Amino acid sequence: MRILLVEDEVKVSRFIERGLVADRFAVDLAQDGSGGLDLATAYHYDLIILDLMLPGMSGTEVLRRIRRTNQHVPILVLTARDAVADKVENFEAGADDYLTKPFAFAELMVRVKALLRRGPVSRASVLRVGDLELDRLTQQVRCAGRRIGLTAKEYALLEYLMANAGRVLSRTMIIDHVWDQSFEGATNIVDVYVRHLRNKVSAASPQKLIRTVRGAGYTISDEAEQ
Amino acid sequence: MNIRSIRFRVTAWYAGLLAGSLLLFGASVYMGLGRYLKWNLSESLTNEARQIGETLLSNVDQSGEEYVIYEIGEHFSPEINGRFLRVTREDGSVLYVSGLPKDGSFDASQLAGLTRPVKEAFSRDERLPDGRELLIAAVPYAARDGSRFFVEAGAPYHQIEDVLHGLLLALALGLPVIIAVAIGGGYLLTRRALAPVDQITRSAEHLTSRNLSERLPVAKTGDELERLSVALNQMIARIEHAFRHISRFSADASHELRTPLTIIRGELEAVVQHPQLTPEVRETIGSVLEETERLTRIIESLLTISRLDAGEARVERARFDLGELAAATTEQMRLLAEDKHISLSCDVVAGVEVEGDRSRLKQVVVNLLDNAIKYTPPGGTVRITVSAASPQALLEVSDSGVGIPSESIPHIFARFYRTDKARSRQMGGAGLGLSIVKSICAAHGGRVEVESVEGSGSHFRVELPLAEF
Repeated sequence: MRILLVEDEVKVSRFIERGLVADRFAVDLAQDGSGGLDLATAYHYDLIILDLMLPGMSGTEVLRRIRRTNQHVPILVLTARDAVADKVENFEAGADDYLTKPFAFAELMVRVKALLRRGPVSRASVLRVGDLELDRLTQQVRCAGRRIGLTAKEYALLEYLMANAGRVLSRTMIIDHVWDQSFEGATNIVDVYVRHLRNKVSAASPQKLIRTVRGAGYTISDEAEQ
Repeated sequence: MNIRSIRFRVTAWYAGLLAGSLLLFGASVYMGLGRYLKWNLSESLTNEARQIGETLLSNVDQSGEEYVIYEIGEHFSPEINGRFLRVTREDGSVLYVSGLPKDGSFDASQLAGLTRPVKEAFSRDERLPDGRELLIAAVPYAARDGSRFFVEAGAPYHQIEDVLHGLLLALALGLPVIIAVAIGGGYLLTRRALAPVDQITRSAEHLTSRNLSERLPVAKTGDELERLSVALNQMIARIEHAFRHISRFSADASHELRTPLTIIRGELEAVVQHPQLTPEVRETIGSVLEETERLTRIIESLLTISRLDAGEARVERARFDLGELAAATTEQMRLLAEDKHISLSCDVVAGVEVEGDRSRLKQVVVNLLDNAIKYTPPGGTVRITVSAASPQALLEVSDSGVGIPSESIPHIFARFYRTDKARSRQMGGAGLGLSIVKSICAAHGGRVEVESVEGSGSHFRVELPLAEF
C-alpha cells in the first residue's frame, strides 16, 4: 500500500511517515502543493494525506485539481482550520475525510485504515476479547458465559473499544463516537463511564481487559500489560 | 411620561416662560388701559366743564341764570349721557345740578356740596353712600362781571370698569387656551426635533458584538444630530475594527498553536511506543501528553468563543424541542451525577420549541450540568427544568452546591475566570465552559444569568427566544 503525504511542516510529516512506515505502508513525501500535485498525477497512490495550509498552491486547490484527473483515490485532509464552512468547502472539493490538528496518531491510523477498507472496524456480529463476548445482534455481553447487564451508553462504549481491540482510543475519539462533540466540555465523562464499565467487566472476569494508557486514552486487549 | 426627558423639560420651560410673559403682558395691558381710560375720562370731563364755563357762564350777567340752566339741559343733557354736572356759585349755593341719569347708575343728589372754594382745576374720586364711585373734574371759572363759579363734571367709574372687566374676561379665557396650544405645539415640535435622537438610541441599543458592521441612521439635515450620528458611527467603526482585530487575532493564534501541538503530540506518541522505556519515563511522557490534550481543549474552546462572538459560527438553524434535548442530554450525563451520589432530576414542559444550532445548544446543557455536578458535593441535588415564558424559552439548572461568592458573580462568565483557582484547576476545567455558554446564548439572541448563595447552591437561567409559529 502506497500513501502520498503532502505536508509542509517537516516535523509533522516526519512522525506521520514514521508511524505509517512502522505499519508497513510505503510513504512518499511532498512539501508543497505543486510538488504534491505532480506526484499525485504521476503515480498511482492508494491514499493521499493532504495538509491544507501549504506554501504556493493551497491544499484546497490541490484537492480540486487531483479530483479533475482522479476521481477514486481516497483523500484525507489534515488542517488547523476546523470551521464548519471550511469542512463543507473541502468535502465539496472532493475530500473523503477530515482530521483537525492536533490529532492523536491512533485516530489518524483508524481513519487511514477505514479509507483503505482494511477493516479497522470489525463487522463481525460477535466480538471477542479474552473471555469477554459481545453479541451485536442481541446486544448482550457475556463474560465466561455469565451475562453482564450494561446501560445503553456502556454498551456503546464497550462495542467501540472491542471493535478496535488492541488499538488505543483517545478520549476525543470516544466522545465523538459514543457521545457527540457537544460533550467535549464535560471534562471527565469518558473516565467515569470507562470506570463503571471496567468495574462491571472485572467483576465477571479475572483478566484486566480494559486498560488506561496514560496520555493517550483507553484500550481493550487480552495481552498482558507491558 | 418621563419627566427627566429633554422633551418634557423643554416643553415645561417653554410653557412656563410663555405663561409668565403672557401674564406680565396681560397685567400691563390691563393696568395701562385702566389708566388711559381714567385719564381720558378726566380730560373729557374737564373739557366739558371748561366748555360750560366759556360758552355759558362768561355772559351770565347778560343772559341770566335761567338761560344758563336751560342751555346746560339743552346742550349737554347730562341725564341722557349718564353724566353729572353741577355749577356752584362762589357762596356755595348751587346754580345748576343734573338729575337722575336715564340709566339710573348713580344718584347725584347724594353727593355732598363743595365745602371750600376751588382755586384751580382738579379731578377727584367721589364715593357715593351706595358704594358707587364717580370721577369728578372741577374747574373754577370767573365771569366777565367778576362773579366766580365752580363747574363740576362727573361720570361713574363703572363705565371704565365694564371695559376693564371685559378685557380681564378675554385674558382669563384666552391665556389658558394660548398656553395649552403652546404646550401641545411645543411638545409635538420637540418630538419632531428629537425623533432622530430616538432613532439613534434605538439603533444603538441593538448593536452587539455580532452586528457591529451595522451603522446608525444618519439624517442628512446638516444639524447637530447629523454630526452626532456621524461621530457615533465613526466610533462604532473604530470599535468594530478593534473587535475584528481581537477576534482575528485569537483565531489566528489558535491556528498557529495547532501545528506545534500536533508535532509535540505526534513525537511523544511515537516515543511512548518504544518498548525499552522505564515505567517512570512512560509515566512522565503520559503526563505531558495529558497536558497537550488539555492545551488542545483550551485552544478549541477559545476558537469556539471567538467564532461565536464574531458571529461566524451560527451556520445551522433548525427548529427543535428544547425540553426533549435537555431530557436526552440529562440521561446521557446521569452516570456523572450517580458517580458522585448526586440526585439529578429533569423536569420539562412539552412543546417548548426554539430555533438554532442543536449541537451548540446541547453544549449549553452539557456545560451547565457538568458545572453543576462538578461543584456539588456528594449527596447533593442538581435539577434541570425547561419551561416557556412567552416570548422566551427558559432553561434552568439549579444545584445544592458550593455556590459562588457574591463578588465573583459579575465575572463568572468571563474567559479564564475561576472562583477558586486551586480547586477548579484540580477539577480539570480551564474556566471557559461558562464563557462558551454565554457566547452560544448570545449568538442565539438569548442570554444567561446566575443567582447564587455561597454555601447553598447556584441557579443558572438561560433565556432563548421561542421559535415563531
